[in-house]
Amino acid sequence: MRTVHSDAPVVRSTDPAPAPVLSVEGLTLSVRGAAGPVPLLADVSLTVAQGETVGLVGESGSGKSLTVRSAMGMLPSTATTSGRVVVRGTDVLRAGGQALRDLRRSAVSMVFQDPRAAVNPVRRIGDYLTEGLRAAGTPRGQARAEAVALLEKVGLRDPEKAMRQHPYEFSGGMLQRVVIAGALSVRPSLLLADEPTTALDVTTQAEVVALLKDLQAERGMGLVFVTHDLGLAAAVCDRVYVMYAGRIVEQAPSAELFRAPAHPYTAALLEAHPSLHGPRRQLRAIGGRPLALAEAPSGCSFRDRCPQAVDACTEGVPALRRHGDSVAACIRPGRENWT
Amino acid sequence: MSPSAAAPVLEVTGLCKRFGTLTAVDDVDFTLERGASLGIVGESGSGKTTTARILVGLERATAGEVRLDGELVGTSSRRQRVAQARRIQMIFQDPYQSFDPRLTVEEAIAEPLRLHFRLSAEARRRRVAELCDQVGLSERNARALPRQLSGGQRQRAAIARALGIEPAVLVLDEAVAALDVSIQAQVLTLLDQIRRDTDISYVFVSHDLGVVRAVTDTAVVMRLGRVVERGPTEDLLRSPQHPYTRLLLDSVPEPGWDPAAVARSNRALAAAADAPGDLA
Repeated sequence: MRTVHSDAPVVRSTDPAPAPVLSVEGLTLSVRGAAGPVPLLADVSLTVAQGETVGLVGESGSGKSLTVRSAMGMLPSTATTSGRVVVRGTDVLRAGGQALRDLRRSAVSMVFQDPRAAVNPVRRIGDYLTEGLRAAGTPRGQARAEAVALLEKVGLRDPEKAMRQHPYEFSGGMLQRVVIAGALSVRPSLLLADEPTTALDVTTQAEVVALLKDLQAERGMGLVFVTHDLGLAAAVCDRVYVMYAGRIVEQAPSAELFRAPAHPYTAALLEAHPSLHGPRRQLRAIGGRPLALAEAPSGCSFRDRCPQAVDACTEGVPALRRHGDSVAACIRPGRENWT
Repeated sequence: MSPSAAAPVLEVTGLCKRFGTLTAVDDVDFTLERGASLGIVGESGSGKTTTARILVGLERATAGEVRLDGELVGTSSRRQRVAQARRIQMIFQDPYQSFDPRLTVEEAIAEPLRLHFRLSAEARRRRVAELCDQVGLSERNARALPRQLSGGQRQRAAIARALGIEPAVLVLDEAVAALDVSIQAQVLTLLDQIRRDTDISYVFVSHDLGVVRAVTDTAVVMRLGRVVERGPTEDLLRSPQHPYTRLLLDSVPEPGWDPAAVARSNRALAAAADAPGDLA
């Protein structure tokens, strides 16, 4: 179990905040592999408050999608877990099939990267949207009316017509709006969005993000925004968690993450990103490639690629240390401590 | 092999491509100087990929012409096509689909060398090793099958294979779009290095303005098949003249970003496009 470093205690929020809509506590997860268990997540903890937008940022294999999926109880079939994932008072990891179905029907829903993979291509949009409502016992006429209202809400110009259309008749951006309407139909208190705009054009991305933020403000939902794009996370989220090799390596308010990254990985990601501002400079690539937890070295997972690594980085996984408003899993957090 | 060094290596004039009633590329012009790098920026449906495919002869233009070293591209004789392939090569977004899954990476890199040069087996081996070294592939990577490599390594292999025949122009279609940020920076740095070491020219097709800024000198912005703005990349990004270029710039998320404002200008621009002539 990871403990917070004693001389730099992580202070729990002092506001008498209401219970979070999502709280992940020390989630560790492994799946069965040919040669024994393969660890994928280690000691992941995060919280999302009502009305808050929380970003989960990382590269391939960082575990960001797996973490967010755990909140839906969507785990690999051979997964072994420890820790807790609590959504509105229900521990998802220990919930049975019925409890999970109830949760997905009333509290939490998810929007995926590829809307075309999320809807049945041979059924009409109306069927897609009313299916969940009908299953929850809503009478047919009312379900239909609600679906039309939802389509209007997400900005489809002719919702009545859209109800009768098939997915292939929509552009990617419009179909993602339909999927968002579907996600809203359960009136979730927690909306999970896994790279919801990655497959879309940049101008369409802005439309979908604006819609998500609007809906969130209106309904006071907690929103988890998973993305590989640090700029997008900073633009959309109140707080951001940065993941690397199955662990959270930094947590910070968005503005702080950009202004003063506390973990060398966050700093390196920012420098590797081709910027549009300031003088044109040489990109600073990070050597090596992003690792999954199973391939990561002992000690700090990032140490092989870290320009700041010292001998002490091999000695155990670094505890979370506070640095300004951020928290980072590094023995020397903050640029001023780097060479 | 190199004609007059001052002449542009690639000249595109009045390029059009129609698929049935759809005009994918509409009267596109640009030139690429030797050793320079040109960005083609646009979103889906802009015609940027179709333009790239015409350049390398994968599509035939409905009208207009492409000149490579002054010579017309897209004529039909096989000999000429082989000769042209020797001078212009393409890198795709997903290199996995452009590799024979049964060939090792070094075999795949050797293949075009066999087709275009008369080299002894030993000389070919040396050249393949040199190319792998140039793009940063280890000997172990070279002996691997494409599926055993990561996305970044496969893209390096695709670059090595294209460089082998020493083309004058490399057309890169969203070549780093599928890569993780840390790997993307590695590949962009590599491409920059190669251009400084040789007199190769790039046509860099991308939707990502940051990436275009990092690797190009000049750029054209395409929308609905047409070039709406062109110029030195830095000028284009610092003081965009066309509302669509401005919209693309405003669409890049950063702290303090206002997606709702972007969405509004996007709709305004779409409405203006319905009434052509209103655009600046």
